[in-house]
Amino acid sequence: MELQEWNPLGYKTLYRNLFKKHLARQDELLKKGRPVGWFFSFYPSEIIYIFDVVPAFPEQYSAYCAARGSSVDLIDASVSKGYGHFLCDYFKTTIGSIEEPEKATKPLMPTPDFIVDTRALCVAHHEMTEVFARKFGIPKYTINYPYWTSDALGYVDELTKMPERVEELYMEYSIAKLKGLFEFMEKVTKTPLDEEKFERVFETSEETSKLLIEITKLMMSKPTPGSQREIADLVFLAFFVLGSDYAFEFAERGYEIIKERVKRKEGVVPEEKFRLLTFGIMPWHSLSLYEYCEMLGATFPINLYVNASLHLCDSKKPFESMVRRSMHFTNSTYDLMDSIIENARKADLDGALLLENTGCRITSIIIRPLAKILQDEVGISSLILEAPQCDPRVMPLERAKTQVEAFIESLR
Amino acid sequence: MEKDKVNQLYNFFLTRSLLKKYRENGRIVIGTLCNNVPEEIIHSMGAVPVRLLGLSKSTELASAKIPTWLCLYSKRIMEDALKGEFGFLDGIVGMTSDDTKSHFFSAYSFYLKPRFSYLIQIPYVRDETSLDFFEKELRRFIGRFTSFFATEFSEEKLKESIEVYNTFRELLNDLSELRYADSPRLSGEEWLKLLLASTSMLKEEMNDHLRELLSKTNDFEGYKDYKLRVHLSGTDFYDVEIVKMIEEMGGIVVSDDLCTSAGYYKGFVEGKTLKDLAKRYLSQSACVLTSGVGNLSIEDRLEFIRERIRESGADAIILLKDRGCEICGHQCPFILQEFSDFPTLVLDLDSPYPTEQLRTRVEAFIESYG
Repeated sequence: MELQEWNPLGYKTLYRNLFKKHLARQDELLKKGRPVGWFFSFYPSEIIYIFDVVPAFPEQYSAYCAARGSSVDLIDASVSKGYGHFLCDYFKTTIGSIEEPEKATKPLMPTPDFIVDTRALCVAHHEMTEVFARKFGIPKYTINYPYWTSDALGYVDELTKMPERVEELYMEYSIAKLKGLFEFMEKVTKTPLDEEKFERVFETSEETSKLLIEITKLMMSKPTPGSQREIADLVFLAFFVLGSDYAFEFAERGYEIIKERVKRKEGVVPEEKFRLLTFGIMPWHSLSLYEYCEMLGATFPINLYVNASLHLCDSKKPFESMVRRSMHFTNSTYDLMDSIIENARKADLDGALLLENTGCRITSIIIRPLAKILQDEVGISSLILEAPQCDPRVMPLERAKTQVEAFIESLR
Repeated sequence: MEKDKVNQLYNFFLTRSLLKKYRENGRIVIGTLCNNVPEEIIHSMGAVPVRLLGLSKSTELASAKIPTWLCLYSKRIMEDALKGEFGFLDGIVGMTSDDTKSHFFSAYSFYLKPRFSYLIQIPYVRDETSLDFFEKELRRFIGRFTSFFATEFSEEKLKESIEVYNTFRELLNDLSELRYADSPRLSGEEWLKLLLASTSMLKEEMNDHLRELLSKTNDFEGYKDYKLRVHLSGTDFYDVEIVKMIEEMGGIVVSDDLCTSAGYYKGFVEGKTLKDLAKRYLSQSACVLTSGVGNLSIEDRLEFIRERIRESGADAIILLKDRGCEICGHQCPFILQEFSDFPTLVLDLDSPYPTEQLRTRVEAFIESYG
């Protein structure tokens, strides 16, 4: 098949600057002897800025190992120690790096002084934090948000996570647990809560979240202005560093770039042939799959995983905002997809590329129902690829490319 | 033990005949998707709670709907459901006990569209705030249930149901004592069959059967010709054939920490109120994911296993590691580490079972330590 010239937004430089600032902050705090905490996606990221904590993100670190090629050895190390085959790749990679650090990509994550376990995405976070906490003998705080059901929320906007209503019981419990988290943070960091800083961080978070939502909305323009190779990484901002000045700087500049691109009606490739929705944790070892699809003329105006990572932060209601962060469709019953269907219709899609992340129950069990909904409600068919996010052995890139080519052919 | 009687009861599990009969007689039948769904509540509202366990040996229909690498427990339920084996159900009640159970509830609801469905939110930490929340959550469930089925809930009826279930637990405790004797008067196979039978009928009826069995225990001297006393560790395991095979090889299963056995019946409700019930399900069961404040659930699980081994005098552990079970996957190394001075055999389970391979491994294990 003929490949077109690929024209990304150019976010690469922005990401580079973002990581540079994030790592510089981390080094500075480490030098000051600030405590290290391990955190997971959908955690209330504002806390690391409010309490001057050195954060480490096992999921992000595992993605890094996958991109650098060390994750396979680490996964094998984990299985050889007796951990299950069909567990989250992020867990297996991280535990592998703890058990056999010599095989892991450097720099390793700093050893944690405490760990925060939020069941805002999956129970696997709870299960893995138990393992890490026991390994390191460190304190752990647990928040378990509800697994949302339609009778508790009604309609939920896919991007802002603004629900039609919220079951009061669930909101109250979640907020009570979040307040407990702040007490825990005061204790483990030996730092009293600075109210002023709290407000400032949440204001930054609000502004950043608005821009990230706008970026994903603009991605739905015709032609698709950017590449998923770049957009997929927005989850790092939304999951882990929301509330930081550097995330805001990125979002501000990123928004300007994509806005200009849309104004010029410029796409990621000269001739857009098919518009696809994608979902699933990105296979970090083979991100070029997206680039390849785009060069074939199949662009991705919607990435449901990126959309799941977003929420509109309301700095006037910080605790409610932290709870709303958990109201994404991967933490909900499958009757809460109305907003997804609406956006899919708006985006004028031709098909979907869905990634079943082996070992990840939350993204995998939902895949087939999602494909059915997209077929029934939007009239598009899906290609489901088994694609563990850190283990390229299950999804060799060349095989995936062939499958994608065949799928695209079938869309003609 | 009265083998015929045990097999007769086990047959209720295999045929689901009593459940179908209850339904024909106008009872509401509710399938539960976790051993921690408080059945007493459903029972008190005049309905029949039944722990859903699939009987299908292969799962080709389920594989088209859910990932093939999920645990056997979820695949078998989905398979039976897709084959229409659960036509007697009026609804399902799940629990957020792990990712599979939460999302399986969604997938089941999506494909099978049960008339009624409710997912109980369980906290993972046993603090006062969580206990208070859990009680309210159970009340919310009651509200949805009574409104949907136009039934009534009363504290008085709940009290009666708690008594029925506590009696059930007491009888099982008495029966389990028979397993602990030097010559166990109840084999692991018989025990599991009884537990499975108990999921397929009203507990008051099961209690009568258990009383009858207990009254006849003196008629049997017990099993003497075994080589190794085994503790079974695992989660939603219920394959009688595997237990039978272990016992044919010279083992005798004297205790377990399975979600379908000890994790299901251990722990009384201390009191008669909904709060007491909430407390039992949050704090006294062997739920593998809840923990006390400042504690880890794995510590609680290890203590639960230690306690079972202490009371049963087991000499070895056979760890049934379902390849698709996330809990086994995370906790297995800690169990191995904790019992490193104890003979332990890990059996990786996936369907179809490599029966001969399992047999060889079990035989070698029992020969080595028996």
